[in-house]
Amino acid sequence: MPESFKLARQYAANNKIYFKYGQKNRRISFKFQIGGTICRNYLCMGGAPPLCEAVRNTLMKHKKYACSLQHEQYLKKIRRNKLIVHAVRAAILLGLVGLWELCAQVGVFDPFITSSPSRVASTIADLAAAGTLFYHIGITLMETVAGFFIAVVLGYAIAVALWLNEHIRAVFEPYIVVLNALPKIALGPLIIIWMGTGYTAIIFMTVLVSIIVCIMNVLAGFVAVDKTKQLLLRSMGANKFAMLVKLVMPASLPAFMNTLKVAVGLAWIGSIMGEYIVSRAGLGYLIVYGGQVFKLDLVMAATFILCLLAGGMYAIVAIIEKIVIKRRG
Amino acid sequence: MSLKFTDVSYTYHTVSGETDAVSGLTFSVDEGQFVAVIGPSGCGKSTILSLAAGLISPTRGRIERGGGQFGYMLQTDALFEWRTVEQNIFLPLEIKKKNTPEMRKNAVELAKKYGLEDFLKKSPAQLSGGMRQRVALIRTLAAQPQTLLLDEPFSALDYQTRLAVCDDVHDIIKSEKKTALLVTHDISEAIALSDKVVVLSARPARVVGEHIIDFGGGSPKKRRESSRFAAVFEVLRQELGI
Repeated sequence: MPESFKLARQYAANNKIYFKYGQKNRRISFKFQIGGTICRNYLCMGGAPPLCEAVRNTLMKHKKYACSLQHEQYLKKIRRNKLIVHAVRAAILLGLVGLWELCAQVGVFDPFITSSPSRVASTIADLAAAGTLFYHIGITLMETVAGFFIAVVLGYAIAVALWLNEHIRAVFEPYIVVLNALPKIALGPLIIIWMGTGYTAIIFMTVLVSIIVCIMNVLAGFVAVDKTKQLLLRSMGANKFAMLVKLVMPASLPAFMNTLKVAVGLAWIGSIMGEYIVSRAGLGYLIVYGGQVFKLDLVMAATFILCLLAGGMYAIVAIIEKIVIKRRG
Repeated sequence: MSLKFTDVSYTYHTVSGETDAVSGLTFSVDEGQFVAVIGPSGCGKSTILSLAAGLISPTRGRIERGGGQFGYMLQTDALFEWRTVEQNIFLPLEIKKKNTPEMRKNAVELAKKYGLEDFLKKSPAQLSGGMRQRVALIRTLAAQPQTLLLDEPFSALDYQTRLAVCDDVHDIIKSEKKTALLVTHDISEAIALSDKVVVLSARPARVVGEHIIDFGGGSPKKRRESSRFAAVFEVLRQELGI
């Protein structure tokens, strides 16, 4: 423990300030309490100015353990700005939902056509009570997740194969371009005839919609790998497989994580599109069914749940990306 | 004899045509010698290293390689940012299937010997440009090559770092008793570092002159301070036709 830090601890002890000290990975963290405020590290020492000032001044001698008042204010400003952004976001959402409800209540909109937040809520509650809500969610989620995984794994494998052999890449390039441009929904009737009307057809549709982008993005990531690093490995006598495992795959990891994010969105498009064409269950089915029988409450409720699920799945991928990129260093 | 080029020519082909990179090149590098090859930019210097390393085969002529392995050091450090410094140093061991505890221990000792002990567990991003280049050199040495091929290894550094790293690399290579072939366009670097300077013409590269450099006691710093430095510099400059 550095000398000035001991002084700070002494100070804390003399003034009966709760003080905890820890060391991990060469970073020193501390925690102390002034009144009811717990201060951690060096970021929030503004609690009780005179007391904190003294501790801060002692700690400032070791720049690492404390920051100046200006820096603290700067950090505070950044935090405040972040808070404002979040608050405005929430306000917009609440405002729109509120306006929607109000307009439906006072009769500006016909709630039969536009539904309303309260009707959506009660529809969801009814579905949940009837026990069908989670059944439909489960079916769609299963189709989407399965399609997503198959598309990513298969797409990655195909990208590897194309990278390993330039001739194969040259041969298949125009096919990939055409498949990418083709609106996959055009294949709907074929898929129904080939795969039947069960969820295999929908998973197939999901894979079809997302796999091409997976292949193209992953391959682009492979091809973009630094040529100097490739030369370095070649000079060490690396074969193609070593090049792939030691360099190309780890180097293109950020591109792959990005691909995952794009693939999540496409997988949802694929599964809902599939359910539009042919299905007996799922959120897409609820939306189509609701539209056909003019139950707009059902359409809105299913759409709302879809928003939550798609956002949630994207968030999971984004969090995984953050962890992976952080661990990679 | 560690490396000998005899009447070596190399032509490379692209769709738009063929280019003679080097033509009738003859020179040799003795065991333990530090040879610098200088030439105008774009004269096929890197081609010479690729030929020496055996990455490409000469169109005509013969290249004899003495015993021992070759290690390549590039213009940029090309450190893998997802690996720690230590893992970067182990890279050639993994590729050459020499990843034994003994070889790893040797590599770590080499790194410690040359001041990388505190950085072994760090990521390359936390290192300065000069330090990164030193890691690149230790990585090259980890597989215990006998001959080092240096492709303008200082050109990506700023001038001050460059002087320091230049001396650094020279000292390490000399104290490890390695043979080295350096290609560069920097005349003063060539004089400061090498035992012999080979001057090349513009493309297709031919040897226009060979100079043994033996003043200054072999230290780059003493060389630069020496009164003979300017004279040799002038001779090389004229041979390059600048």
